[in-house]
Amino acid sequence: MRRGLIARSAVELPDAVFDARLDRVRRAMRTAELDALVVYTNNTRPAGVSWLAGFVPYWSEAVLVVPREGGLYLVAALSFRVKSWIERVSRLADVLHAPRIGLQAAQQIAAVRADAAVGVVDFDGLPAGIAEDLREGGPRLALRDASALFAPLRATADPAEIALAAKAAAIAHRALAAARGDDLNGMIAGVESEARQLGAEEIYIAAAPDLARDARFRRIEGEAAGGKTFALRATVAYKGTWVRLVRSWCDGAMVHEATARFAQAVAALPSGRGFAGFGSWLVEGCRLTQSLDPLMGSRLDGHAAPPPGALVSVQAALARDGGTVLLGAPALIGQPGEAASLIVDPLHD
Amino acid sequence: MLAEERRRRLSAAMRQAGIGHMVLYGNAWQGDYLRYGTGFGILEGHGVALLGADGDVELFLDSATDAERAELETAQVKVQLAPDIARTVGARLDRVANARIAAAPRRFLPRWLADATRTFKLDDATALLDKLLMHKSAEEVAAVRRAAQIADAAYVEFLHAVRPGRRQYEIVADIEAHLRRIGCPDNFMIIGSGGKDVFGMTPPSERRIAAGDLVTTELTPAVEGYFAQICRTLVVGKATAAQRRAFAVYVEALEAGIVAVRPGARAADVAKAENDVFRKYGLGEYTTSQWTRVRGHGMGMFADSKPHILEDVNTVLEPGMTLIVHPNTYHPDAGYIVLGDALVVTETGAEVFCRTPRELFEVAA
Repeated sequence: MRRGLIARSAVELPDAVFDARLDRVRRAMRTAELDALVVYTNNTRPAGVSWLAGFVPYWSEAVLVVPREGGLYLVAALSFRVKSWIERVSRLADVLHAPRIGLQAAQQIAAVRADAAVGVVDFDGLPAGIAEDLREGGPRLALRDASALFAPLRATADPAEIALAAKAAAIAHRALAAARGDDLNGMIAGVESEARQLGAEEIYIAAAPDLARDARFRRIEGEAAGGKTFALRATVAYKGTWVRLVRSWCDGAMVHEATARFAQAVAALPSGRGFAGFGSWLVEGCRLTQSLDPLMGSRLDGHAAPPPGALVSVQAALARDGGTVLLGAPALIGQPGEAASLIVDPLHD
Repeated sequence: MLAEERRRRLSAAMRQAGIGHMVLYGNAWQGDYLRYGTGFGILEGHGVALLGADGDVELFLDSATDAERAELETAQVKVQLAPDIARTVGARLDRVANARIAAAPRRFLPRWLADATRTFKLDDATALLDKLLMHKSAEEVAAVRRAAQIADAAYVEFLHAVRPGRRQYEIVADIEAHLRRIGCPDNFMIIGSGGKDVFGMTPPSERRIAAGDLVTTELTPAVEGYFAQICRTLVVGKATAAQRRAFAVYVEALEAGIVAVRPGARAADVAKAENDVFRKYGLGEYTTSQWTRVRGHGMGMFADSKPHILEDVNTVLEPGMTLIVHPNTYHPDAGYIVLGDALVVTETGAEVFCRTPRELFEVAA
């Protein structure tokens, strides 16, 4: 449930950015002979619709319909009273309100062409009730999965998205720098306050309160007792773009050494060979509609290497004689032959 | 432990209904069904739990970050990271396909899992889970009560945070920071500010607070996954006579709604009691869906739980159900006004949790 700033900025996301994305999608639709594309969104899976139209639901769910020609329209379960808000924060030709969004979307598409070919992004993961309503609302529509069409377009970041990620990373960095004081709850409150004051759309803070006992992150409820060494992770969203940043409080020299090794390992991505010697590691990024899907890592059997130009968030744990250092920062995968690069300095001096 | 108690209740309900295995789905928006069975508050990705009638719980998560968190934050739950969650759960269900399997909420399940061509069949157990979610034990009610106390205290912070010139999102930042400072991990909150041009509440915007604004908020913190809500309205500066007259209607409507809460009453009776007050003053139009969504709703593991308080909802109220009654709507003389208190249905009526006075607050302009 989002309660940070959701706002549209024509400077950060000008119409030309949306137009360019839409052109690429429509070219792919024509090649695939699709009459319409349907993209589902809720606050867990916002990354497809926000990329195409800027809309992020704070609550509830919606589907975006991309006709092969004409304006994009959103069918939202949110009530009519928030129509003007949706129009302010998004770039849409129209917003329709209906309790059964699948039914309404299908009826709209079928009204133009009853036997339209309709691609659905992440069709397998679409809520079953909405899939059933799509079939009921357009019995002759030919529904098919459009994940393979959409994934390569969504996975590569354009300059606008890289800039948003850099802003999100800067917010996360300043927020973690605001973790001051002696008690962990107060530090977390400082991070929360700073991120939201800086305009974060959302922030999730997790803590590894005592690295000597457990190096895994958890959400803190109640009074948290911190150990001598601990870490905080800020997961920050800014205008639909998500990053993670980690800060460890432990021996400074050890953190510097671990950070240098982390940066080297990140540079080698999408190869994971640089993470040999790390206790654990994880690379997350957007494949379809979830902002931070697991792509590669020590806990994943197979892996989906991010393509050149993809934005990812990387986390790792490095054990040393003096204890464990947790690391994490967003990065941009390089073009073939180029190194990947961190988009924010993970160090806090 | 709340999670263990809930699991025992769920296992008993499954046995009574002849269900061998229960599939529960959750995500960060609709996480209550999953949390009921697992104790896990999901934040990212999809989660699917499989519960056996013997009480065994397997939790599948497609977010690596949430899977790690679930290992630490749940007890007696086998956690599995499953990037292709539908097929991983499907393979698990293939092994119990001969048993009766039910799912809740079935309409949210990934389509692939619910597809009729699978070897297993998933009955819809949403109503069974809804009943468990609505009827709370004494321990669950205690959690909602504690959340309401936190909501009261947070509203005091809200009164301090609202000042002319501040942006809406800066005010929300103060409240969220206060909640984290006291160890409250979750909250649902929307806000509105302005005059008669404001028709509802939304996530915070960049709009700056100005003298004369009505500022509305729903504040909904959670304790151990249980949400409690408070709705209040303030004026920046001195309230006008028109604003005071308008607000008095909401106080009367809220009180009428609370009086209507008692065992055996229907949700519709509560909504009608609230709406009749508006009708009495010639404001019946503002009780319709053009101006307002619901006249209250259940409180629990979802911030907008069943039953919805509407004149066409016939859910019968029973002791242990926790609700918010809120006659929130637009008033033509003042703008959008909210006022609501969380409560529990008792054997004789209602115990109101919120202690914040039902007044139109004023803060310095």
